[in-house]
Amino acid sequence: MNKLLHHKWTPWVLLALAAAFPFVAGAIEANYLVRVGGVIGLFMLLGLGLNFTLGYAGLFDLGFIAFYAVGAYTTAIAMKAGAPGALALVLAVLVTLAVRALLGLTILRLRGDYLAVVTMGFGEIARLTINNLDSLTNGPKGMQLAPWRPLGFLSADPNVQYYLMILAAVAVSCVASRRLEDSRVGRAWIAIREDEIAARLSGIPVREYKLLAFTLSAAFAGLAGGLFAQWEQFVTPESFVFWESILVVSIVVLGGMGSIPGVLVGALVLVGFPPLMQWKLSADWINYRYLFFGLILVLVTLFRPQGILPSSRREAELTS
Amino acid sequence: MIFRRAAVLAAFAAFAILFTACGPKEKVVKIAVAVPLTGDMGTEGQGLRRAVELAVEEANAAKRFPFKLVAAPYDDRADPKEAVNVANLIVSDARVVAVVGHYNSGCATPAAKVYARAPIAMVSPAATNPEVTAQQNSKDWMGPRMVFRVVPTDDVQGSYAALFAAKKLGKKRMALLHDKSPYGQGLAEEFKKGFLAQGGKIVSEDGISVGDKDFKALLTKLKSDSAKPEGVYFGGLYTEAGLLLKQMRELGLKDPFAFISGDGSMTFGLFDVAGDAADGAYLSIVGVPADELPSAAKFVEAYKARFPSDERKPFDHFGYEAANIIMAAMERAGGPDREKVIAELKKTKHDGVLGTTVFDDKGDTTSKIVTMTRAVSKKRAFDTVR
Amino acid sequence: MLIQQLINGLTLGAIYSLIALGYTLVYGILTMINFAHSEVLMLGSFMALGLAVALPSIFGGGPIGLVGMFVLSMAGAGIINVVIERFAYRPLRHISRLAPLISAIGVSIILQNGVFIWVSTQSLRFPEPVAIDQVNVMGATISTLQIIILAAALLLMAILHFFVEHTKLGKAMRACSDDIQTAGLMGINPDYIIALTFFVGGALGGAAGVLYGMNYGSIKYNLGFLPGAKAFTAAVLGGIGNIRGAVLGGFILGFLEVLASGYIPNGAQWRDVIAFSVLIIVLLVRPSGILGEKLAEKV
Repeated sequence: MNKLLHHKWTPWVLLALAAAFPFVAGAIEANYLVRVGGVIGLFMLLGLGLNFTLGYAGLFDLGFIAFYAVGAYTTAIAMKAGAPGALALVLAVLVTLAVRALLGLTILRLRGDYLAVVTMGFGEIARLTINNLDSLTNGPKGMQLAPWRPLGFLSADPNVQYYLMILAAVAVSCVASRRLEDSRVGRAWIAIREDEIAARLSGIPVREYKLLAFTLSAAFAGLAGGLFAQWEQFVTPESFVFWESILVVSIVVLGGMGSIPGVLVGALVLVGFPPLMQWKLSADWINYRYLFFGLILVLVTLFRPQGILPSSRREAELTS
Repeated sequence: MIFRRAAVLAAFAAFAILFTACGPKEKVVKIAVAVPLTGDMGTEGQGLRRAVELAVEEANAAKRFPFKLVAAPYDDRADPKEAVNVANLIVSDARVVAVVGHYNSGCATPAAKVYARAPIAMVSPAATNPEVTAQQNSKDWMGPRMVFRVVPTDDVQGSYAALFAAKKLGKKRMALLHDKSPYGQGLAEEFKKGFLAQGGKIVSEDGISVGDKDFKALLTKLKSDSAKPEGVYFGGLYTEAGLLLKQMRELGLKDPFAFISGDGSMTFGLFDVAGDAADGAYLSIVGVPADELPSAAKFVEAYKARFPSDERKPFDHFGYEAANIIMAAMERAGGPDREKVIAELKKTKHDGVLGTTVFDDKGDTTSKIVTMTRAVSKKRAFDTVR
Repeated sequence: MLIQQLINGLTLGAIYSLIALGYTLVYGILTMINFAHSEVLMLGSFMALGLAVALPSIFGGGPIGLVGMFVLSMAGAGIINVVIERFAYRPLRHISRLAPLISAIGVSIILQNGVFIWVSTQSLRFPEPVAIDQVNVMGATISTLQIIILAAALLLMAILHFFVEHTKLGKAMRACSDDIQTAGLMGINPDYIIALTFFVGGALGGAAGVLYGMNYGSIKYNLGFLPGAKAFTAAVLGGIGNIRGAVLGGFILGFLEVLASGYIPNGAQWRDVIAFSVLIIVLLVRPSGILGEKLAEKV
């Protein structure tokens, strides 16, 4: 089993299966499963992004959803101004990166839970600002987006189109994460996470590397936010509440910090479970959905405190 | 350790049983109720679910249809992403004939796009943002027009309240508060427009957040405002309205300092939150009050009999009406056919708890009757102001 | 108007401070954010309501009923917090720093939904414990309720201060907070002290819940979340882990909110933005909070 999991073809087989899914899912309730698959993909992107901050650099961020919001609103505003969809996505990533870098420059000297609470504060500041700046964002009423359907030749169903686009984004992000993880930069991050002072004494520019991890993670959130806005063709501040930030942190921790497969599985479990219950639970049990969700959160944590699929490096550290 | 593993395995086994326990499915037709059933807005969503269940049970008892009709609940948690999720689930289920939902405008707007592609009719009992129906006329709309709304948009209530404040109460200076939600802000903006048109003056405008509890600082500011407001108009829901009233009275802002709000605050919950402080609050309601319309009074009685431990929530009668309008359309269509039901819904002329409902070319109700009521806490009632 | 606003800020600050103490006590000893604390607060207010509804002759009113309601709700909330620690946090204590946080989030969701499903899905009226009068002081209106809230909060803080500084158990708590391993070597049972800390923190949260219910007159299943998040911010502002810091942070946050919505035009909708911006600025100047000790770097 373990051997199969770590086989070098396994990720590619899984990717092919995932890509084929919407075309074979017709037999079952396809609309719903493809839609949920896409949403899971968006949270995989968010999780992969936060993994840079939390998993690699060990910086605790409780306001990550703010950058998802910045990406979504940048896309909405750009498309309203007439930008084509692809350009809007690029802009979303760039603006998100810039905001994140500015934030990082100011707050990265804070440590541990102080950083957590400041990022949480920034998350709320971002949401409230979007809600209050009616002239730019249309405030609580939200913004409509024109449809953008670049994959119209593959399927008429926008769910399938966005599912495939998100899947591609997840695949590219996984490869990018893996390459960075194995690079000089990735090793520097791990050195910093394990022992900051030792890392500094070894000549690693700690501040710069931390800022790099912190900033890079926003690119994923910006891309996810942009795709989300284009898929829904509508953005509203109601989508970017504090709870969503907690959900992303839970995905990374529950899946396994610093572990790419872990993050993917974490998103699959946490984002997939409530819709699964919506689908399969009878009407009498529907109110219990989030009670069960909480139960799953506690039980999985107790059962696998290191995460469902912890990174091999961490596992080695912890068992030694 | 062994104990822990056993406990975890037992829990997972329990889940597995829960999921497989749904037995054989009998032949039914469903009306979907897509509202927040859990989370912060769960209170309001549960009320809507009860109202639709009541309507469906009444129809089954009267044998209106040759099949069993059920109200199928879907939980959107007031989260736009989950709303689109459940919209996709609803359109996948061929037994669903139409949708009553969603509660929030932020959920109704993107979910409607999914229903349009099916297409399946959506009748909203609570989402008041004009965009929910207006988007159907945009060039980007993919599908037929199938969004309907039994709850009037903000302009109807807001401007009536403005007229009432200026003409009936003789107010010249009002303060404006709203909860920064599409509903509350929309109401407040329309009130402002109307009140300015009446020659009144808005001395201040403040937004609060849903979930805030402490408004004393804000109210203290209003009280000592040099522009001397003679009352406050609040766009928002009963929880915040109740707390505002309670804290206003505690700070000594009493009659003739007026408190005016809309139908989101006109619910018995207001008395639970505000207590005696609710006395004298003016609340507008769309349509005719229950005691003047026999059909509405019947609904109030039936609701009380069916759900004795639950009080009605502000939008419940809209949910009940939405379900009844769908059922009437289904009768005229001769069966549970989604497209025929949409066509019949457009021709709706329904006499029910809201008076007569007719939809205009956007799908909005043309009913423009607004009644002003005054809260009486001792009776837990809202008396009509003439 | 200024005096009135200061009184408003004091009441708000007193409630935040009590909640913040619960976060800071637990953090001081385990360096974990007890995410479920906001739910303990909510359960405290529901227990008080339950007492008042079940036994109105005893807890319905009067000073003795009021004190009894407080004591029982505090004890109940404390016990709940201890149970949560035993089953959801202790198994994870030595394994990972973030795992207890996720477990705490899960517990918080379970408790909130449990109350939603099994107790009530709507706002419940909270009884007024004593007749409320308004007192006029220098042009400001103070209600007897505000006086009760302030007095109760200050009394509890004084008791906590005495307990932590002047009793043996308090000393043991401080020792564990400084260095839990060494404290263990000195013959202190850390499990016992941690349970005690959770009990005290939970009891303060329960008290805050009762005050919260009294002040706002109604309670609902989700009432804990917002004050919980704000009080946690207050604890960090004051320097998390530091008891005086939590009290100071709570009052500062209370005043900040009142000043923002009371004096800045259209300030109510920017209130939280202002409060969080001040938090960020303070932390940039003093990275471990106003009264927090400088974090030792890991060597």
